[in-house]
Amino acid sequence: MVRLRSLALLAAPIGVVLVAWSCDRQPSALAPAIGTPLAHFIVFQCSPLKITGGGRIDYPPGTADKNPPASHEYETFGAHVMDENGDCAPEKGSLEWVDHRPEWNINGQPLNLHSTAITFAEEATDTDCSDGAAHWGGRLRVQNTGEEADFEVFDCDNGEPGVGHDGFAIRVPAIGYEVMCPDPDLPPAEPACTLTGGNRQFHPTHR
Amino acid sequence: MRIDTFRGTVRLLALVLPMTWLVTSAEGQMRAASRAEAYGVAVTTTTVNQKSPYAVLPTGEAMATDQGQSVSVPGFVTATDLFAIATGDADATDGSNAVSSATLGVVNLLDGLITADGVVAIATSTVGDDAVNSNAEGSSLADLVVNGAQVSDPAPNTRIGLPGVGYVVLNEQIPTGDGVTSSGVTVNMIHLVLTNLLGAKTGEVIVGSATSSVTR
Repeated sequence: MVRLRSLALLAAPIGVVLVAWSCDRQPSALAPAIGTPLAHFIVFQCSPLKITGGGRIDYPPGTADKNPPASHEYETFGAHVMDENGDCAPEKGSLEWVDHRPEWNINGQPLNLHSTAITFAEEATDTDCSDGAAHWGGRLRVQNTGEEADFEVFDCDNGEPGVGHDGFAIRVPAIGYEVMCPDPDLPPAEPACTLTGGNRQFHPTHR
Repeated sequence: MRIDTFRGTVRLLALVLPMTWLVTSAEGQMRAASRAEAYGVAVTTTTVNQKSPYAVLPTGEAMATDQGQSVSVPGFVTATDLFAIATGDADATDGSNAVSSATLGVVNLLDGLITADGVVAIATSTVGDDAVNSNAEGSSLADLVVNGAQVSDPAPNTRIGLPGVGYVVLNEQIPTGDGVTSSGVTVNMIHLVLTNLLGAKTGEVIVGSATSSVTR
């Protein structure tokens, strides 16, 4: 009887530890590998962060100049992510992305990407983004087709105003889609394309 | 006796001052605000009141979206590929921001009186340590035709009269806030005002509207 009690006393804490370990998130396995060689956005760390905002990009080429409106060569978006614990596993986040280019008109509508889960967020520490930068992503649904896919974004707050300074880039490998600006001379830091409208805001107290 | 009074004063200050700091901090938290909303089309007359798609940033949330493949308000407006996105964050410590956008494809008002093939309205407001500001950067109109005349890249608040109908304000930008503790802007890319024979307003049609504002 005493032996059984001793065994139970020993097993209970081990069980609790095992259950707690199994519930713990494993953030390091979540971030996908980046497909292209870059000079920026290659050094990351898990730290508390929050980025909010949205806007417009005129890609291609993704510079600070707007394309002629009639060309429809632009993208609009809203996006935010928050990782309060700094474990690279964000508690909140979402992405809404619309590509207005005629070549990305699918089933009679502009390409519309809508996130269904944000699974990773890591601070990029090797960029020229003065106020902060992050690499984050997860799963999204292509609203035009219902297809689901992994995605990643490169998010850059490079001061105020956001237009002409901040940057954003997105990649959805499963559908061969990317709006990325891999030009090292293009501000703020490749592969982020320059905003032609809107703002990205990195919140430093969450760093 | 004087020393006792001094000590008493110090004790009182030590007790009261932190409480005032807490109150000030709480006031700051309560005052910081971020507002964003956007819509594709709104028609308001004595018989019609319709707004769609419509996204409003909920309190405490960071994004709201809405969309529609097409919208038709017979006799007033038709539009395709409508998206409304409202984003923002109220942060008393780091500063607040708000960004909203409304985008549309082909637009037709009053059976061809005004047409466009691509409308973008973007409103952005930011408050930080240094400044508070708002702008409508990124807004645009493609292939805009008003009463048979092509209109390219209209300046903010361009007003064109429409005999027998009223008038239209293109790229309408309405600033709000005091520019010190608050700032905001509403952008209406096509704002058609309907008037009667006496010039009195009888209704309005707004196409591509984005609003943002922040309070320190």
